[in-house]
Amino acid sequence: MFAVTRRAQFALSLLLAVASAAGCAPIYVHAYAERGTAFTYRTYAWAPDTAVATGDPRLDNNRFFAEQVRASVDRELTARGVEKIPSTSSELLIDFHVTIAQEVATTPSNRNEHCVNCGTTIYDAGTLVIDMVDARSSRLVWRGWVEKLDPVIDNQDWMEETIDRAVTRIMRKLPYPIQHSEF
Amino acid sequence: MTRPSTWAAVVLLTTVSVACAPLTVGSHVERGLDLTRYHTFDWGTADALPQGDPRLERNAFFKDHFEGAVAKQLAARGLELSATSPELLIHYHVTINHRLEIDATAPARYCPTVDCDPPLIGFEAETLILDFIDAATNRLIWRGWAQHPVEDELENRDHMAHRIDQAVTRMLVRFRPL
Repeated sequence: MFAVTRRAQFALSLLLAVASAAGCAPIYVHAYAERGTAFTYRTYAWAPDTAVATGDPRLDNNRFFAEQVRASVDRELTARGVEKIPSTSSELLIDFHVTIAQEVATTPSNRNEHCVNCGTTIYDAGTLVIDMVDARSSRLVWRGWVEKLDPVIDNQDWMEETIDRAVTRIMRKLPYPIQHSEF
Repeated sequence: MTRPSTWAAVVLLTTVSVACAPLTVGSHVERGLDLTRYHTFDWGTADALPQGDPRLERNAFFKDHFEGAVAKQLAARGLELSATSPELLIHYHVTINHRLEIDATAPARYCPTVDCDPPLIGFEAETLILDFIDAATNRLIWRGWAQHPVEDELENRDHMAHRIDQAVTRMLVRFRPL
């Protein structure tokens, strides 16, 4: 019986490791909206690039990562009828940040359960934050973010798919639908 | 007096140790770009990001050997150094970060309480980043990296040279195979 349990735990750990490596690990999405903000914005622009250390040198100043984030956000905002225009006249300024840190995951996640070595895995957990700033007041009006995201940096295809999936999930948290009215 | 066979064994063991430490490489590339169109390169200016470790700053041996290794590998692929009309601008970073990994040598343990911490060990990991920028557009078109645990490369120049050669060779295979 004990051997069967151990085999089951090993299989579960292996499954989780494979799922994580394939970018299928669960992701945690949150958002914050400034109270009283009427989300009637219909134009946006990207804030200028800034060189910020991410915690993983592979992602520092990484245009391939940054452009995939921007492309995914562009697609989501276009689908909501918000138009990208030059920054001098846009109503919203959008920026994003990513930080990477190692996380230790233990299986089973409830550590009150008995286990052997607890199926421990270490992975690179990213936090991707998307900020929307009112261009007139320079106030942050909305922030959405995803936590514990393994960006699968070593595989460009998987990385792009992971970003796309994460951005889609974040943008679902936007106050919806964005109305098309004069500012 | 030490016998030659003892020295040979020490050298062999050290070499095997350095050679066996895991080195992983990866790259990102501009989609759809023909990388064979580039024939000349020059060294570009580094960006403002920090090196990450003071032991690697102003390290002339590292700089000379790394740039020499890259130039050699690029020459083998038909790219020549050109200060006047470079098609590619190259810059690089090297950082050292503290990392954790699971101690594979730790015996399996039965964990009856919430206080059973996983068997982790800390180590220093070096990351070499090599950026290729199209000189005409000033856009990053290829980034390669190599990562490995730091052993004694910072103190032993032979090992540093070996590690650089290994990293550059494997990174540039991903840029353009020979």
